[in-house]
Amino acid sequence: MAATRFTKMAYSSADEIVFGTAKSPVSYGFGIKVGAGRVIPELNYGPRPGTEKDPARLKKEYVDYISKDALLRAVTLGFPDLQLETEWISQMGNKKFSTPVVEGQKEITEKFHNEYGICTAVRQTLPDQREAEEGLRPGMKGKHLYPEALFGCAEVACENGADLLSCETMGGKELADHAVTTGDVVAFLYGVGYLGAIDMEYVWSEFANIAKKSKTTLGGDTNCSGANTSMFMAGGMLDQDVQKTFSAVTRAISAARTIVAMECGATGPDKDCGYEGPIIKTITGRPAAQEGKNCQCAHADLQGNLMAQICDVWSNESVEYHPEFGGSSVQCWLGSLGYEVALMNCAIATGNEKTLRDLYMITDRTRGPEGYMLAFDNAYKVGEAIAKEGKNIYLRAKAAGLTAAKVVKAGNEAKELGLTTKQRDVLNNIIKELEALPAEEAKFFEYCDKKYADVPNYTKKNYGL
Amino acid sequence: MVSPKGVDYSKILTRYDIKAQNEASPEAIAAKMLPKDPVLKKVAETVVWMKFKDVGPATTEALKTKDPLAIINDGLVVGMEVVAKLYADHIYYLPEIMMAAKTMEIGIALAEKKIAGGRETKGLVVMHVAEGDPHDIGKNIAKVMLTSTGYSVVDMGKDVYVDDVVAEVVKSKPMMVTGTALMTTTMTAFPRAAEKLRAKGIGIPFMSAGGAVNRDFSESFDLGIYSEKAPQTPPIADKIKAGYDWRKVRAEWDEIVGGV
Repeated sequence: MAATRFTKMAYSSADEIVFGTAKSPVSYGFGIKVGAGRVIPELNYGPRPGTEKDPARLKKEYVDYISKDALLRAVTLGFPDLQLETEWISQMGNKKFSTPVVEGQKEITEKFHNEYGICTAVRQTLPDQREAEEGLRPGMKGKHLYPEALFGCAEVACENGADLLSCETMGGKELADHAVTTGDVVAFLYGVGYLGAIDMEYVWSEFANIAKKSKTTLGGDTNCSGANTSMFMAGGMLDQDVQKTFSAVTRAISAARTIVAMECGATGPDKDCGYEGPIIKTITGRPAAQEGKNCQCAHADLQGNLMAQICDVWSNESVEYHPEFGGSSVQCWLGSLGYEVALMNCAIATGNEKTLRDLYMITDRTRGPEGYMLAFDNAYKVGEAIAKEGKNIYLRAKAAGLTAAKVVKAGNEAKELGLTTKQRDVLNNIIKELEALPAEEAKFFEYCDKKYADVPNYTKKNYGL
Repeated sequence: MVSPKGVDYSKILTRYDIKAQNEASPEAIAAKMLPKDPVLKKVAETVVWMKFKDVGPATTEALKTKDPLAIINDGLVVGMEVVAKLYADHIYYLPEIMMAAKTMEIGIALAEKKIAGGRETKGLVVMHVAEGDPHDIGKNIAKVMLTSTGYSVVDMGKDVYVDDVVAEVVKSKPMMVTGTALMTTTMTAFPRAAEKLRAKGIGIPFMSAGGAVNRDFSESFDLGIYSEKAPQTPPIADKIKAGYDWRKVRAEWDEIVGGV
């Protein structure tokens, strides 16, 4: 399936976008309706180390302990919906490990739905273990045959009952890593914005073909391997190995890449850890899964409240299964998550959703450049830049980066957003570098292919070029 | 819509990054540390200012009058020490470290060719990312930090089988082996590798690090020591070179990495 590009905005203004409602709602699982006027909590978890040693132990961990604990707590606390997300561990590349987990989770979520009426679903998120040095596409004969394994995983998930299929694809990572560690925004644009988009089209077209057979809903992707690496290395107030202005621009570029899943048939909700989600929702109108304040079990970031502003699914990112004072970790974090979702749904029910949205956004608007750029009014501007150049994957990614940089610069000049001298210097340099790039895709490719020829593991063959 | 205009953000958050920024100029700090000798100073400056196109000509020029070892230790390495100081003072950040290290490596490669038998490094470290784990950015940064402080590295890459790690350690006899993992279900390879090393009578420290790894886990198996972030790796390696075994590194870990 070829990608159908987005060239128009789904919303006529930024103010139209709010949490819990999407232009194109999606239904799946046992009664789950996303983007239809109610935010859904999504719980993600990791099994305890050691449980990956054999299939029976792993199934017991995921189904009998984690899923059951979570479903019981959801009913205990009166939550109307619960979506589980299983991000497959590497061992689940072997279907002896993955099949019982997928089947078991389907069974237990159905059981709770039938018994209590709670709406349930399971998102199965595949592991993309492809390595650039071994080849990113089937037939490239790498030692581990990871590309073949990726599509094999999709078959297993769909055939055995996944309600929602997602993946964190890794295309362009070899250049993204180089970009983040050396502060090279052009390398990021090339690796994630351009090559990443090409890889996404290949992978998600295949996923669409596979999911069609079982009518499995395709969720979406995230640039976890690129923009999140950038964001986490930019870190908090005291961690500045990567400048936060650089991270803000890489996030915007990643939106032009992550949207490709939806151009190939994904309906959303996309992946929670894709902080580029607000930009994508402005363009596509499809439901967004996000994470922030209630994912402190997994990581800290500078936009914990803001990320809730337009979400349709609200997630805890991931928590390792272990005991806490208040129950198991999944129960405790579901409590935190579910009550936040209840607050959002209360705001919707009382007609106050835009007020709560604005408060979420204002709380973190100036905590850092990335949050500032992702504030829904600014995310809308980046979305417009992408849609305007929507037909060309290079031009739209460049436009996203440049618009984001200029939005941040304008915020600083208006004295709304503070920047350190270094953050400002890096930002000005980014604008200069992006503006100097050629206007034609072919020239950009030729320039980058030569410039980054020595980046470890980079080869254009991985992208069919 | 609740407008953000006119909001007093100081009542909501504190931008400690802006409050803490160091406005000192790198030129002023470098001036105090750069070599006095004009030839070596020129070499060192190429590292400090990350001029990787100039380091070759500067090193080649210096080789006409200076001992190659002096060019490395009193020129290139001094330049990197300035960079480390700028990094510690929050004036330089990761990209500058990476670019300066690349510059230094170009110069060292040129100078080393003139040293009979090659240059002796501070020690050898074997590095890898756990089996099943493709996340190698942390390992790559730690590698640069080790090589730029005088260690040599065997980089086994990512997704490395336990038995391959053990075989490499047996073959190259390093002073330390490191493993990184982003996932809790891949880090379990580290105690398995350490156990196999012990079975072969090898007792070198096994540093484990990465997003999933914490100090408790790293110290839950014999040989295991912890590194929370890449810049902590060189000071720990320095202690191992000074004769610390894994037990002593554990006992003094807080002091060793203090402030890093």
